[in-house]
Amino acid sequence: MITLQNVTKIVQSGTESLTILDDVSLEINDGQFVSITGASGSGKSTLLGLIAGLDAPTSGEVLIDNESITKMSEDDLAETRSKKIGFIFQSFHLIPSLTAYENILIPMEILGLSDAKDRANKLLADVELLNRGHHYPSELSGGEKQRIAIARAFANQPKILLADEPTGNLDSKNGDNIFDLMTDLHDRNQVTLVLVTHDQTLAEKAERQVILRDGRVISDDIHHRATENTEKYEEF
Amino acid sequence: MNFIINLTLREIRSSWKRLLFFFLCIAIGVGSIVALRSLIQNLSQAVGGDARELMTGDFRVTSTNDFSPTDIARIEKVLKASNIVEAENEIVETSAMTRPVQGGNNKVEFVSLKGIEPPFPLVGKFIMSDGKPFDFKLLANRGAVVAPILLEELGVKIGDKIKIGEAEFTITDTFDEEPGGSGGFSLGARVFVEKKAFDEAGITQNRSRISRRLLYRTSANPTALVEQLRTELEGSTLRVQSYRETQERLGEQFERTENYLSLTGLLILVLGGVGVWNVARVFVEQKRESVAVLKCLGASGTKIITVYLLQILVLGFVGSLFGVLLAQLGLYYAKFSFNDSLPAAMKYSVPLTTALTGIVLGILISLLFSALPLLQVRNIKPNLLLRDENNKNLRKLDLTKWIFGIVCLAGLLGLAVWQAGSIIVGTFFLVGLGLTSLVLYFSAVVLTWFLKKLKNFSSFSITQAINSLYRPGNQTRIILLAVGLGAFVVLSVQSLSLNLVREFDFSRNERLPSLFFIDIQKSQAEEFDQLIQASIGEKAEIIPTVRARISYVNGEPIDYQNKEVRQDQGQIGREFAVTYRPELDQNETIIAGKWWQGESSDVPQVSILDTIAETLKLSVGDSITFDISGRNLTVQVANIRKIDVRNTRTAFIFVFRPGVLENAPQSFAATVLKRVPAVKRQRLQRDVIDKFPNVQIIDVAEIVKVVKNLVENFVLAISFVGSFVILSGILILIGSVALTKSQRVYENAILKTLGAKWKTLAAILFAEYGILGIMAGIIGSFFATALSYAVSKYILDIEWEFNLSLMLSGIFITAILVMLVGAISSFNILFKKPLATLRSQ
Repeated sequence: MITLQNVTKIVQSGTESLTILDDVSLEINDGQFVSITGASGSGKSTLLGLIAGLDAPTSGEVLIDNESITKMSEDDLAETRSKKIGFIFQSFHLIPSLTAYENILIPMEILGLSDAKDRANKLLADVELLNRGHHYPSELSGGEKQRIAIARAFANQPKILLADEPTGNLDSKNGDNIFDLMTDLHDRNQVTLVLVTHDQTLAEKAERQVILRDGRVISDDIHHRATENTEKYEEF
Repeated sequence: MNFIINLTLREIRSSWKRLLFFFLCIAIGVGSIVALRSLIQNLSQAVGGDARELMTGDFRVTSTNDFSPTDIARIEKVLKASNIVEAENEIVETSAMTRPVQGGNNKVEFVSLKGIEPPFPLVGKFIMSDGKPFDFKLLANRGAVVAPILLEELGVKIGDKIKIGEAEFTITDTFDEEPGGSGGFSLGARVFVEKKAFDEAGITQNRSRISRRLLYRTSANPTALVEQLRTELEGSTLRVQSYRETQERLGEQFERTENYLSLTGLLILVLGGVGVWNVARVFVEQKRESVAVLKCLGASGTKIITVYLLQILVLGFVGSLFGVLLAQLGLYYAKFSFNDSLPAAMKYSVPLTTALTGIVLGILISLLFSALPLLQVRNIKPNLLLRDENNKNLRKLDLTKWIFGIVCLAGLLGLAVWQAGSIIVGTFFLVGLGLTSLVLYFSAVVLTWFLKKLKNFSSFSITQAINSLYRPGNQTRIILLAVGLGAFVVLSVQSLSLNLVREFDFSRNERLPSLFFIDIQKSQAEEFDQLIQASIGEKAEIIPTVRARISYVNGEPIDYQNKEVRQDQGQIGREFAVTYRPELDQNETIIAGKWWQGESSDVPQVSILDTIAETLKLSVGDSITFDISGRNLTVQVANIRKIDVRNTRTAFIFVFRPGVLENAPQSFAATVLKRVPAVKRQRLQRDVIDKFPNVQIIDVAEIVKVVKNLVENFVLAISFVGSFVILSGILILIGSVALTKSQRVYENAILKTLGAKWKTLAAILFAEYGILGIMAGIIGSFFATALSYAVSKYILDIEWEFNLSLMLSGIFITAILVMLVGAISSFNILFKKPLATLRSQ
């Protein structure tokens, strides 16, 4: 379970202080598929980063499975991510010096899994890129890169999958494919999926939709209430 | 662990091209150290390895006078008691003039004459040019065995006669290898004659600089016997030395040379280290995203640092191995290029321990210089994947970095001390290098600051080129430091050599004699003077000289059996040529006491040179007792003199007050100033030898030639090392170009899109590196001028002159070199199509 308690994040921009998240509290249950939407600068990605422990809140607390990660050291946070969290980025963030196969292998090698190689091949097969494993990221298309990134995110069998605009850099066809792949893997692996997106259509497919504005949660709907949500979203 | 090893291997696979400069920096540095160390070790082994052969005996007793019957009796007494001496002989050696007897041949040469007696040699080989061993019969009936070069110099052949002293010798053979080797620096070719003939040739009477030695071959370790002899000979001026001590001393000298040369190699390796630091810094900046991804995937900072550290270790190791290979190639080069000047028995392989030392040094330097940049990995936050903030945190200094910085400095100090073999020298080296680097770096900062102020040029290319020097990640100041340091070393040496060589220029020192005559007898003085006047029209300055040795200082005897005194023998234990005169010479000034007035005093007095006053810790009023032909004479130090070497005709260390030495056995020295053409000079030398066979002539022009040659070789050697420093700087430059290439490609793409033609882009490129080169040249030449001034004035005490053309050509060559290297290594980016570049951004 993911818990955010009165989380505020303020960053310094030159001499000015910018409040990115303002007193946000959320609880996300295991296995839930939550979408987070909002305009640019509303704090979506920051929220995702705080859940993953990539950054620390200015105040408030983030808990994963009832354990606070706010005060954890960098190395403990890395271990938590390694065991529990998978991350998918808008700009893929594959390691350019490694092949597609090796990119998938990395999280398992960090964990020290003995069957890493077999599992990497299986994941390559799952994302239908078995024949592209030996290619470097620079030799892959955007869609292929994102598939590899998804396979990598699922490699260490995380309980939580965080996706930051995973279709943002792809055309609509590739975007749909990636989304289907992601939700399919979510269903099959029963992971908690937190999806940050601008795409209202994708957001509506989630079980729960959180809308942020100026760093505050302005809507948090547990069930599909597409019409109302669409109206709120269109206010932006 | 699997993760660390796998990722290290994958990283090396993908990054080795980018880290090639890292590899080369280490290879060049390690190569220099290993080559220099190996060369000197092999030389040491070839020259000093068998000190017994070098001495041609197990121990020797040396003297500059005839061995008196008392001396011989004292020596024999000890030898008989020990019973280990198998064989002995006596050798007498001096330098003398020789000329062919044959009429019409006017050549005259200085030779190193050796009088020997059987059995010879006691130890070692004496091989004739035809490969046969030496036979004593060759010296019978005034035969002489000579070095082949003498035949060439004198224009004679085997069977011809030469005159040495008053005797004529027939050349019976030439030799290929003499026992003990040539003994290093020698002014004349070696001539062997029978000792009896040597004594009969009239060379030994009133002759200075004759070395006599009794050589012994023993059946057992001579150390105890040598000690007994020293005890027996206490109070005499005889020196006893065993080959084991020589071996020890030679070993120490070679070790010291090796350590100093290693420091030169270390300088190049440290510069390589600067290159490593630079590459590692930029490498980490370029790896920011990958590090953030790895952290996001759960890898700890420590694991990631370990991966990169392992990568550095592997590259450092392979680079060091390559360095050892380079050193081996360097040794082969030395073999083919300098075979004639190096000993025949010299090996040209890298000793295993030296190779291992080089590898350890290479790895340690790699680690020390990359540790700080790698620590920046800790500061890379994974959230940069979501929001790319500037990387100012990356270079922030925190406690850990301070601690690591101090550890690295301590490590570097350790390496310097290890290589120098001395804490003081190592510390001085590092502090000196640090200060030099700081000064050069500060100058680079000031110069680039000025340039920024001047950047409003009408030329678009120059303005852009200056802007490029401030490109983020551009290593302008580091390149200026490294290339500037190289230019500094080379130009300093060149400037110093020019000043040194000029010091020996006759046209500048009118008081430097052109010819020097010594050992003129009192009875010959008048006739000699007439001869000189008749042939060159100048009245020679004739000075009385007396041979004297110091036996007591303030009543304390100088113990020639004492180790320090033995080793310092060249300075205080030798025989001095002293003179007496009423006036102070025009090149002399008194720095303590008073010059005497009148010709006599109650107490005999002497004036001493400031240098010997310092060595013997003497001041005015102290007493010195001289041994003059076996009689002791105690004199009081009346004053201490200083000599202006630039204005020197003669330079006596001890000048006595008149009234003391007039009746002592003495000879005369004479000097002439007139610059006489070579042919006339040779005729004069021949006339002098014919009339006065005992007189030795020193042709100053010949000495100056030898000194010039020595200085030039020295300059060549240092410039060679300096060129490696420049090479390290150039490597840093190439590395920097490679590391900022993507940025250049992007800038060029934008400029092309905005309408810049490739000629404009090429002009920017050449201007950028041209400016960089000019600035490095300015820094190098400015500090080279300062150093050459300081060394000339305060260390060498020679006149210093600014050489504008040297400095301008230094700046010009550095600028051209940097411009060519920089432009060539980035030239291909001018031809890249802009669209692909802009799309990928």
